[in-house]
Amino acid sequence: MGFFDDKQDWLEIVFRNYPPENRRAAVMPLLRKVQQEEGYVSEEHIREIAELVGTTPTQVRGVMSFYSYYQAVPTGKYHLQVCATLSCKLAGAEELWDTLRAELGIGPGEVTPDGLFSIQKVECLGACHVGPVVQVNDEPYVECVTKERLKALLEGLRAGKRLEEIELPGSCGHHVREEEA
Amino acid sequence: MVKLRINDREIEVPEGTSVLDAVFHAGYDIPYFCSERHLSPIGACRMCLVKVGTPRKGPDGEWIKDEDGRPKIFWFPKLMAACTTRVSEGMVVDTLADEVKKAQAGMVEFTLENHPLDCPTCDKGGACELQDRAYEYGLFEKYYTETQNGLKKVLYSRFEFTKRHADKHHKLSEFIVLDRERCIHCKRCVRYFEEIPGEEVLDFIERGVHTLIGSEEWPLPAGFSGNITDICPVGALLDLTARFRARNWEFEKTPTFDLTDAAMSAIWVDSRSGKVERIRAREHPEVNEIWISDAARFGHGWTKEGRLSRPLLRKDGALVEVSFEEAAAFLSERLSGVRPEAVGLYLAADGAMEEGYTFAEAAKGLGTAHFGFENATRFPVSALPAASFADLLASEFALVVGDPAEEMPVLYLRLQEFLKGITPAPRYFHGTPIADLRLEERMPRRPERLATFAAYPTRLFAFAGVRGVYAPGSVAALFEALLAAMNGKRLPEVPGVSEEAIREAARRFLEAEARTIVVGAEVLDDPEAAQALSEIARAKGAHVIAMPPAANARGLELTGLFPEKGAGFGEPGAEVVFYYGATPPAEALRGARLKVFALPALDALAKAEADLVLPAKTYYEKRGLVLNAEGRLLELRPAPTAPASAMDGIEALAFVLEAFGKRVPARSVLEARTRLHERLKVPLELPEEGTLFRPRVRLGARRGGEGGGSLYLRPTMWRARMLKDERVRRALGEPRLYVHPETARAEGLSEGMRVEVATPYGQTPAVVALDERIAPGFFQLPAFGRGTGRRVAHRILVPSGGAA
Ligand code: SF4
Ligand code: FES
Ligand code: FES
Repeated sequence: MGFFDDKQDWLEIVFRNYPPENRRAAVMPLLRKVQQEEGYVSEEHIREIAELVGTTPTQVRGVMSFYSYYQAVPTGKYHLQVCATLSCKLAGAEELWDTLRAELGIGPGEVTPDGLFSIQKVECLGACHVGPVVQVNDEPYVECVTKERLKALLEGLRAGKRLEEIELPGSCGHHVREEEA
Repeated sequence: MVKLRINDREIEVPEGTSVLDAVFHAGYDIPYFCSERHLSPIGACRMCLVKVGTPRKGPDGEWIKDEDGRPKIFWFPKLMAACTTRVSEGMVVDTLADEVKKAQAGMVEFTLENHPLDCPTCDKGGACELQDRAYEYGLFEKYYTETQNGLKKVLYSRFEFTKRHADKHHKLSEFIVLDRERCIHCKRCVRYFEEIPGEEVLDFIERGVHTLIGSEEWPLPAGFSGNITDICPVGALLDLTARFRARNWEFEKTPTFDLTDAAMSAIWVDSRSGKVERIRAREHPEVNEIWISDAARFGHGWTKEGRLSRPLLRKDGALVEVSFEEAAAFLSERLSGVRPEAVGLYLAADGAMEEGYTFAEAAKGLGTAHFGFENATRFPVSALPAASFADLLASEFALVVGDPAEEMPVLYLRLQEFLKGITPAPRYFHGTPIADLRLEERMPRRPERLATFAAYPTRLFAFAGVRGVYAPGSVAALFEALLAAMNGKRLPEVPGVSEEAIREAARRFLEAEARTIVVGAEVLDDPEAAQALSEIARAKGAHVIAMPPAANARGLELTGLFPEKGAGFGEPGAEVVFYYGATPPAEALRGARLKVFALPALDALAKAEADLVLPAKTYYEKRGLVLNAEGRLLELRPAPTAPASAMDGIEALAFVLEAFGKRVPARSVLEARTRLHERLKVPLELPEEGTLFRPRVRLGARRGGEGGGSLYLRPTMWRARMLKDERVRRALGEPRLYVHPETARAEGLSEGMRVEVATPYGQTPAVVALDERIAPGFFQLPAFGRGTGRRVAHRILVPSGGAA
């Protein structure tokens, strides 16, 4: 069964937003839907989307692979995205990444045996002043992620807490101001 | 026209011209990577940056003047990409400024940054745009550094950098390999697939420095894929049939024409040590632009397999090599006492006109009615007025009956242009525009411009506003119905096609101001259909482009090699037969006492039946004139790949006639051409690009040979001889036997079942493929150039252990 088979109403609403001769423009909302619900976009999903919007699977792959948001392999319940661009790197993102890998025992593209975690390096998330930054799924950023804060984060998630319920040790703010103060 | 200045030269170019073309038109050069003729300019590589300025008008509507009273030039604040900038009146372009040179050198440097320097093992080496441009526009002498022992070392970049590594041998199909490290992301190949054949099968995958070319398809659809190996500016996309065969400067490059189909695309034959190693497209703006089909490009392997260099004579049942003297003695002995009028003389579909003339004259001299050429259609194609591909582009509506993608592949590409409404571009000093600003990515193809009918859904169906699948053998009814619809009469029934589709096609046809009708082999093989078609074209006014299954059909018909009675190429009747360049179906040899062939290599039939086989040339190795489907006279030039003793048709025929003690009409190509010149006013000298040559021809349709079996032979761009090549066989997979599910059920066949099909051309394995869109009651098998569009008798054998 196709992913969209039981989502005909949803599809109709989405397609209404685009001129019929340009239905291919709907490739993004369809990809997003799959990513959100399945955690990744499989080869079959790609073929299904291509068929639905009237383009080739290659084109869908092209769009999908442009965005680091879309995953081509299954992800854990919590997909941890570690910013690895300059500011975060200077603030210790590399060490954070190593810790994370050691802590979870997985590399990018893998999922922990309990199905909870997967990890990925991403480019600048736009929160450079509070680096290093980690994003869990689509949620608001976790900022100034020190080793302690990372441990607390993982523990909280393992305990099934929602992100905003997790208490993180230490403080986080604008580094420059902190030093000035 | 727009006036502008390039450096020191004032030029005038048509409005809409890109600065890049203006620069080349003025005789200057700038480097470019992403632009390519016939593709949309996208300004991706930034290699073509130039300094551009324009005059401006003041609020008073007058040009703002400088101190000298001349229009003041306002320079753009940054360098502009010449390929995406349009010329304007009074524009000034500087391609020699220091900042331009610096930008060019900088771009070369950036491009090389991640490019592997494996030129010594790269097939593109010596013919690589990046190599050339780096050499011409890099500024490496500026970056010299001293090494410790005091020697100077040239650096290609100022930056220390670890090169990106990626997949170096990524096969895209049996024919094409991609080296992802070498790719410079010009996007030519991606745009090519979408813009030219209309299949979006390649794309950029990932982003930024990780970007690579990729496809979700394996393999890339065969048909038009090979052209990307020509246009890739670097060695990222390479032709696997020529992999590591030679360095580019070692190839002997022969400019000639492809005779796989009747379009006759211009090609380069690259040969080395007497072997054809690679075929590349050569530009012919009117015929194939810069594209050729995959069959024309990758199908050349047969020219190397088992080439004969000496005559083969049957002794005690086996063919053995003998001297020419022995062959001649054998022929004289066996031919003595033979009635000349019982001799049949037959030429391959890719014979040249000089050969056709010699064969026709020889037949006349012998007084025999048995002669002809391979794949001649029952209705002579020359009885239809010829039209050019340019006439198609100037039309508003096209009616296509047949399968251009297979029957004349480059016409299919011209149809794609037609659907987008692209007309031929202006010609510049440098020829075709490199950055034609009329072209865009994803230009809509307009289905209302096209109606198409065929015996199965063709590639063109996806682009047609009106389409229909008829039952094989109903093309005459189809044209009669179309004519009736145009005249507002009652329509005869056309099996498989709705009345509505016919009325709609007729309506659109009549509404259009200029129209073109394209027809394939099936129509030419049905004199009634061809008559009705001529009637429509004459009465309503339309250009006709016919796609004959024999490449040089027009040329050979003109020389008189079209038999009106007597046994043709594939028909039994002659007692002594001589076939040059191709063998007929076995049935044609029935009753023949002496069978002489001249072939480049043995095939199954010759092996089983021939009494004598002479070594022959392939068309790549011949000199001669050919006439394409448009009625364009072209000259073949020989590549140096024939074994020394291989004969062209004229020589081989002379050999046979002499042994027979008969008059030889011509002994050389030159002599035959002089005769053709005297008889038909065929020009003796031709320009490089050929010339239109459309004399009126009076030929009647041939009777008989209707076929009428239930096996329909589908047109294919591939020819049977190409299947000798293992790579081609792998690429094409096993032939499909298409059947309607109903028919399959009645015959006890099921999807995927492996069968053997016995046809007049021999027995072939096939895999059953069900298709409910085709007419029930028929079987359809790829023709591979033999019996294209015909209905023939057959038997299906389910191998023992099969499911039926
Ligand atoms: S593979 Fe060749 S043609 Fe395609 S983008 Fe790369 S360099 Fe350009
Ligand atoms: S560098 Fe990490 S958020 Fe910008
Ligand atoms: S930017 Fe590539 S040719 Fe102009």
